[in-house]
Amino acid sequence: MTDKSFDIFRSEYTRELTRISEQKMELPELKYFLDTQYLWACCKADHKPQTVVLGTGIPEELVIAAGAVPYWLTGGSLGSISWSDELVPRDTDPVSRSVLGYIHQPDGADFSGSLFIIPLVSDSMRKIAYLLSQQGRRLCLVDIPPQREKKSSERFFERQMLQMTRAVSTHTGARTTKRSLISAVRQVTRARTTLREFLNISSDRTDIISPAARMLVQDSYYRTSDLEGWTYSLRALTAQTAGLARRYARMQNRPCVAVMGSPIVFPNYKIPFLIEEAGMDLTDTVDSSVLKQHLRHSSKALRGTRDRIIRNIASEWYSADGSSAFVSSDTLYRYVSWLVQSKNIEGVVYHVLKGQIEPDFELERFEELFSQLGIPLFRLETDYQYQDIEQLRIRLEAFCEMLVQKRYKEVRKAK
Amino acid sequence: MMTTTREMQRKQRQDARFISKQTQTSAKYLRRIAELPGAPDGMEPFYETLHRIYVGMQGVDLPLGVNAVGTYCVMAPQELIYAAGAMPVKLCSGNYTAFFVGDDIAPRDACPLVKAVAGFKHTGLMPIYDNCSMMIVPVTCDCKKKTAAMLSKKCNVMTMHIPASRGDDEIDGFTDQLYELAAWLEDATGNRITYDSLVNAFSMVGHAQYELSKFIRLKKQHPYLIRGTHAMTIMNAAAYMSAPAWANAMHRVNASLRERAEKGQTVTSKKLPRILLTGSPIVFPNMKIPLLIEETGGIAAADETCMGERGMWDPPVITDNSFDGMMRALANRSLRPCPCPTFADNSQRLFRLRQLIRDNQIQGVIYHVLRGCLVYDFEYRRIEEELGRLGIPVIRLESDYNEEDVEQLRIRIEAFIELIKLRQAPAEKAAVRRDFNEQILHWA
Repeated sequence: MTDKSFDIFRSEYTRELTRISEQKMELPELKYFLDTQYLWACCKADHKPQTVVLGTGIPEELVIAAGAVPYWLTGGSLGSISWSDELVPRDTDPVSRSVLGYIHQPDGADFSGSLFIIPLVSDSMRKIAYLLSQQGRRLCLVDIPPQREKKSSERFFERQMLQMTRAVSTHTGARTTKRSLISAVRQVTRARTTLREFLNISSDRTDIISPAARMLVQDSYYRTSDLEGWTYSLRALTAQTAGLARRYARMQNRPCVAVMGSPIVFPNYKIPFLIEEAGMDLTDTVDSSVLKQHLRHSSKALRGTRDRIIRNIASEWYSADGSSAFVSSDTLYRYVSWLVQSKNIEGVVYHVLKGQIEPDFELERFEELFSQLGIPLFRLETDYQYQDIEQLRIRLEAFCEMLVQKRYKEVRKAK
Repeated sequence: MMTTTREMQRKQRQDARFISKQTQTSAKYLRRIAELPGAPDGMEPFYETLHRIYVGMQGVDLPLGVNAVGTYCVMAPQELIYAAGAMPVKLCSGNYTAFFVGDDIAPRDACPLVKAVAGFKHTGLMPIYDNCSMMIVPVTCDCKKKTAAMLSKKCNVMTMHIPASRGDDEIDGFTDQLYELAAWLEDATGNRITYDSLVNAFSMVGHAQYELSKFIRLKKQHPYLIRGTHAMTIMNAAAYMSAPAWANAMHRVNASLRERAEKGQTVTSKKLPRILLTGSPIVFPNMKIPLLIEETGGIAAADETCMGERGMWDPPVITDNSFDGMMRALANRSLRPCPCPTFADNSQRLFRLRQLIRDNQIQGVIYHVLRGCLVYDFEYRRIEEELGRLGIPVIRLESDYNEEDVEQLRIRIEAFIELIKLRQAPAEKAAVRRDFNEQILHWA
């Protein structure tokens, strides 16, 4: 059973990585990101993560400032699900299952001395925290107040971040100082800015870098233990992409779609591949971590005492968090409104992972927004299994046909 | 104009169908509960309340000038609502008809309770939902979180953040939220919450809690004194009655039960398997599980659900007589003893279950999971292990707000009760088997 699960896990990674590397992109720097993903997933024997973060719901600058290198567990793997099957109820969402699976992977990384930072963004995360505490793991829980409009919620979150930074510092034995905070903020901001630049250049040039490869690069942020090296490589990749974009004119004119809703995490890339195969260009991905790229701490936030800086970072993060841990997702709504109006998005694929109830609740609001803007939205429910791939293909092909027809109709109307 | 008239007619027909179906289902369940033998004297006010709300489709019985404040969890302290001169009404719903309406509004995987709430709010036909001057939604799960957003489009909603743990910092934070709630309540009712009004509210709710404690003590000391379905009906009616009215009605029930106990009367002459019901809340009219337990030869001896005794059981402990002391007592009461699975570490619940098993001489546990209620489902594994250690059999029953699964549930509950009966008297059973074997040998 264990061997079989590990085979599924390994083949899942290698298959998707091979698929991306076979897409014949003239970008040698992409190899670094492919390697990063492969090394993270398949060479875990010597991994002994010190600080593990479940999900993406905390400002990593604080973890780095406290002397730790965050080891992110964001799910995404079908193979890892089998290692948590007996621990969770049937209706648990695949992301939580996969995250828990990574922790229980028989020959995976050694988590025995790790500190687990768990942002409690959903019911599953809360109960996973309970499970891990029963196993005697060292935990640092981050409670996220669901109503962002309240000033008291913001203060509560700031206190949580102070506690988290203290817990990480105690765990690593490194002091969090004003200098370490500023240095961490700079390091993370450089990475975020570079990622944003890369996405700006690459999002509408799917002929140069495929959407799956672009998403892999984006995802590798959570797989690297050397953020400086990653930023350097991304800068090189951005330069290569920009060079190719200048040299070659855009040839294809396929309908541009954005994906939003539940996160798409490597190696479960069936949706981006299917979108591509159905004849559409996936230009943007909007998920809970998208607003992170746009978060740039103001210089004012980095003034004052150490605790003041932590509070400022927490506060800015809290108001920009795009996750569905909140009663209303106004920040994400505003971002999406801006995105669809500033970019040429012709359709939206709303991805819902089975068991993730929050995106499903938010769908109605986004449906209203897109219907006002005349952009078709299409809800796609799936999980990490591959059995539904042909049904999804048919649905996506039909969606693509519809977008093409809409184009013709608009041309006819213009004439 | 034509279309509008036609649409209006269609809406009227839909509403009429909804009312007819809703009232029929509620009346049927009320009748089944009333027909169960062994109901104590004094049950009428509880039946009447449920009849008034669900069959008569009227609002709660409010004194003149008193506002109703809707709550969606027991963690919203009712003392504070009474102190503001309002009356708390628990709006969690168990209605099948509203569930079907809500099915089209809420996502498919949302829990039935949330769908029923969405259904009622959407139809606008249930006065208890529309007469509330404000609603308090403590965010205990993902569905409640998003329901708050849904409800806030239609009425004045205050959400409360329920922390994941119960440390001193969390209690401080929750006390702050109670002050905020007090301000909201003052705005909604136009009344000020003063020291005296809060003291009065404490004594009002305290009286109801005292009657409940008497009821629980009687049940504990005299097994088979009352059926669990009747006990749960009493607790469900508390959602729509004012604390003094409920306490008075409860006083009559307690007197009747004491009389029974003195005469040595019980609801059954047999020693029926004693079942503990725990898990997702059992909200009227979704009483199919307690009814099935008692119709198939068991007795629901106790429950550990938030619509049951948990809702009112723990009284606040005031160590400081100031206003702030009382607010802290409320915050402590709401969080510290609560075995709600919303908390990351919920060892409290295991302790409570062990206590209930010991006090009520429980022989089996039915773990009720409403489809989509992930937090309760997550805790099942741990509880199953713990009960296994105690030698108490447990089954997990997953159900929804419809009657299609009743027969499957009946078969499972029957089998479970049979299993308990088989374990009940192993010595007697072994003797019968020995006689039978001897007879066979003799014939041979």
